[in-house]
Amino acid sequence: MGLLDATHAALRLLLSGDAELWTIVGVSLSVTLRAMLVAMPVGIGCGYLLATLRFPGRRALIVVIQGLLASPTVVVGLLLYLLLSRQGVFGQLHLLFTQTAMVIGQVLIALPVLIAFSLSAIQGADPRARETAVALGASGARVAWTLLVEVRFALMAAVCNAFGRVVSEIGCSLMVGGNIAGVTRNIPTAIALETSKGDFAQGIALGIVLLVVALGVNFSFAFFQGESRR
Amino acid sequence: MSLLAVAGLAKSFADRRLLAIETLSLSAGERYVLTGENGSGKSTLLRILAGIDAPDGGSGHFREHRFDWHPYPDWLRREVIYVHQQPYLFHTSVAENIAYGLRARGIEASERERLVRAAIAWARLGHLLRTPPQKLSGGERQRVALARAWVLAPKVLLLDEPTANLDAESRQQTIDLVHGFCGPESTAVVACHDRDMIALANRRRLHLVDGEIRHDSEAAP
Repeated sequence: MGLLDATHAALRLLLSGDAELWTIVGVSLSVTLRAMLVAMPVGIGCGYLLATLRFPGRRALIVVIQGLLASPTVVVGLLLYLLLSRQGVFGQLHLLFTQTAMVIGQVLIALPVLIAFSLSAIQGADPRARETAVALGASGARVAWTLLVEVRFALMAAVCNAFGRVVSEIGCSLMVGGNIAGVTRNIPTAIALETSKGDFAQGIALGIVLLVVALGVNFSFAFFQGESRR
Repeated sequence: MSLLAVAGLAKSFADRRLLAIETLSLSAGERYVLTGENGSGKSTLLRILAGIDAPDGGSGHFREHRFDWHPYPDWLRREVIYVHQQPYLFHTSVAENIAYGLRARGIEASERERLVRAAIAWARLGHLLRTPPQKLSGGERQRVALARAWVLAPKVLLLDEPTANLDAESRQQTIDLVHGFCGPESTAVVACHDRDMIALANRRRLHLVDGEIRHDSEAAP
């Protein structure tokens, strides 16, 4: 099958509402959105604390987190696999090859991105923003909220970045999810599988969806940022 | 009556002694101008009094109640307000900026709106309500910041060179606002170079030289 024929077949699959294909898309979005919902408050909260608190070992912790930005997802998958497998520390929970395991893996992959980017967003805020909030009598929690709202676009960039990384990662999802059809098969693992089987139409169709989702998130971010600067 | 008083206030940066103030007492009903060369520590003094920076040592009293600098007490933050030389406005709206301190104090919505309207009228900001704060001119920002402080009715107002970098008209508007800020129960300290501000009636002058305060009589003309 030539590339043109495959693309044509892919578009037909997308438009015909192919159940298998849209189940895969559903798994991807569901896992990634759940992972982001968990990772966002934790990551941004840690970023804020790292930016504002001074404690021994802070510098080293920041270096470690920035190092984790480059951690291969397949290594995260391997570690999580060892922890969740039957002999592992969390083997009793029977989480291996479930969507929950994929969510945990994606949270671990998203966290360093969210922490490192929100840390630099908050450190980059105008120091007068905090001083003004404090001088006007705001409590610690209100100062924190005010500061996060002031740097909201930099935080949105952090979220887009983390989303882009987890929605497209394959190593961890493949290892702890197991690529089970209808359960843990998401877009990246399905593309790898279909392509290895020679079924390019399904792979291209899923690739189009993944591109649209990833670009869509970034375009809407750029749009909101543009609106706010008009 | 002494409202805010400090003694033995010291602050150094690296090896340089910036402030060594034996005593400084601000009285209710009085207005002060704080003068001194660039880098003489005017801003640092105001920031310490407002609890934004901490001194190396010294004691502080508010209405005869002793307070600690580390940490600066929350109840005192409600009485003392500091306004930056170039005020920072939150990326919300003019009205929300003015309401910020009221929200922090838990003032209920209807009372908050009434106070914000009064502050907007006081600082003549009515025509700017729809303008994003980031698009305001320097003078307009200064007036929003003054309204944001005025609405909280602080007992001690600390203004850091409010007329610096303003054009003539904005400068006059700011001077008028500062002039009408305080009542008999409160006090204001304005750090400035501005001759018009220094020459305002009923102002006591504090001159900062070599880290020490010289009062009216000792100050250079």
